[in-house]
Amino acid sequence: MDKTRKIDFATIGLRDALDLAVLIEEEAKERYEEFADSMEKHHTPAAAKFFRFMRGIEELHEAKLKGQRSELFGDARRVVTREMIYDIEAPETGEPRTHMTARAALEIALGAETKARAFFEQAIERVKDSSVGSLFEELRDEEIEHQELVRKMIAKLPPEDAGDIRDYEDPPVTL
Amino acid sequence: MKEPTVLPTYQAKDFKSELKPIWCPGCGDFGVLQAIYRALAAVGRAPHEIAFVSGIGCSSRIPGYTTAYGFNSVHGRALPIAQGIKLANPDLLVLVAGGDGDGFSIGGGHVPHAIRRNIDLTYIVMDNQIYGLTKGQLSPTSPKGLHTVTSDLGSLEEPVNPLLYTLAYGAGFVAQGTPADMAGLADIIEEAIRYPGFSLVNVQSPCVTFGEDDNQVKAHRAAMKPLSSIGHDPTNRIAAMDLAQQYGKALHTGVFFKNPSPPPTYDALVRERQRSLAEKAVPRERLLDMFVQK
Ligand SMILES: Cc1ncc(C[n+]2csc(CCOP(=O)(O)OP(=O)(O)O)c2C)c(N)n1
Ligand code: SF4
Repeated sequence: MDKTRKIDFATIGLRDALDLAVLIEEEAKERYEEFADSMEKHHTPAAAKFFRFMRGIEELHEAKLKGQRSELFGDARRVVTREMIYDIEAPETGEPRTHMTARAALEIALGAETKARAFFEQAIERVKDSSVGSLFEELRDEEIEHQELVRKMIAKLPPEDAGDIRDYEDPPVTL
Repeated sequence: MKEPTVLPTYQAKDFKSELKPIWCPGCGDFGVLQAIYRALAAVGRAPHEIAFVSGIGCSSRIPGYTTAYGFNSVHGRALPIAQGIKLANPDLLVLVAGGDGDGFSIGGGHVPHAIRRNIDLTYIVMDNQIYGLTKGQLSPTSPKGLHTVTSDLGSLEEPVNPLLYTLAYGAGFVAQGTPADMAGLADIIEEAIRYPGFSLVNVQSPCVTFGEDDNQVKAHRAAMKPLSSIGHDPTNRIAAMDLAQQYGKALHTGVFFKNPSPPPTYDALVRERQRSLAEKAVPRERLLDMFVQK
């Protein structure tokens, strides 16, 4: 599935690549925030807590990349926009469920980190600018680190009774 | 990367309201909403130039989650209200949203009239084959045999086919998408908005709570067949109708039909008539003369 629009990896330069990286983190941050809000609304506190934690991580990365961008390019205009990217590191909107367990929430994040890693791996093969290549390698390595972090968190969780989430539906109420 | 000469005026986030969706976590409508934000950004009209009308249902909450003018109206009555808005203020971009129940059950009678009048509206139907908001009753698009709270032994009814139905009534633009391909869905919605006339986007938007397990986003991703990949010609209405018959059996995504020579819209005809009548109109200061016997 196409994850970008109008981005030519063969000609992308460092400024646009940094802007792209910032937007990828921003998209993931917002998605985790939406998930956390939704989980809170639907009485699923453990997953909400974890999604909020992930939101914080994405925010830190976003800030770091923004810093790099302004150090190197100041306020030079941005041509890469959010409309050009689709769920690169953001977990997909269809993933969460009411009363999902913390483990299921962590698995959603693991899936998101895995697809982000695959995205950077594919991008690395297409870029020609070496500074962009190094940036994408760095970002890919960070995704690998995140995967490890989430895997460790999953390993620490107590075993659980999966149950059937359909027993705990929480749909909106009728008017 | 090639520098665009003009940067887009609006971004997807400009269309996102403060209201937080209360849909069940994982509901397909979340993805549809994201696609709508992106399509609106691409179209580039200001939020205050857009009116978004819906009926009642989970999916009908969509207007409230955008910064456009919104009217979460009456069950099944989104289309007539939207038609009125468009005729009263033709400069507005008018979008209509709702569920398959809202659009093809209680509101079904309005669809042919919106189509035959060819009012410039974009109708986005979140077709989840169930009544979501009222907790899982049979809907007009539910497949035959479906077990629901109102069809405990399995539905005996043939479903409505929204694609074939709207094509048969002469809609100039008919497309189908799924949140499993958000980029593709955003493109379809953008194209529908840009089409000058009535356009339908039927979105297979899964209901995670009352929908079937094999009709969720992951299953869509595996099953979807983009029409572009099978060489479909979207200017051919008969070919579109042929493919539309696969509704419920195959998940075709993309534009089924787009009229290559769109006829004038009703709003354009009304404006044209107003202009021609205005030429013959009596000036305001001579209005009373009409009632004075000479
Ligand atoms: C006149 C009237 N009749 C019935 C209802 C109850 N009602 C509310 S929403 C709905 C159907 C919802 O299904 P759909 O339109 O498919 O939307 P979804 O919730 O699945 O998005 C019904 C029957 C109502 N609100 N008003
Ligand atoms: S009941 Fe179904 S359609 Fe309604 S919010 Fe929940 S998942 Fe979505």
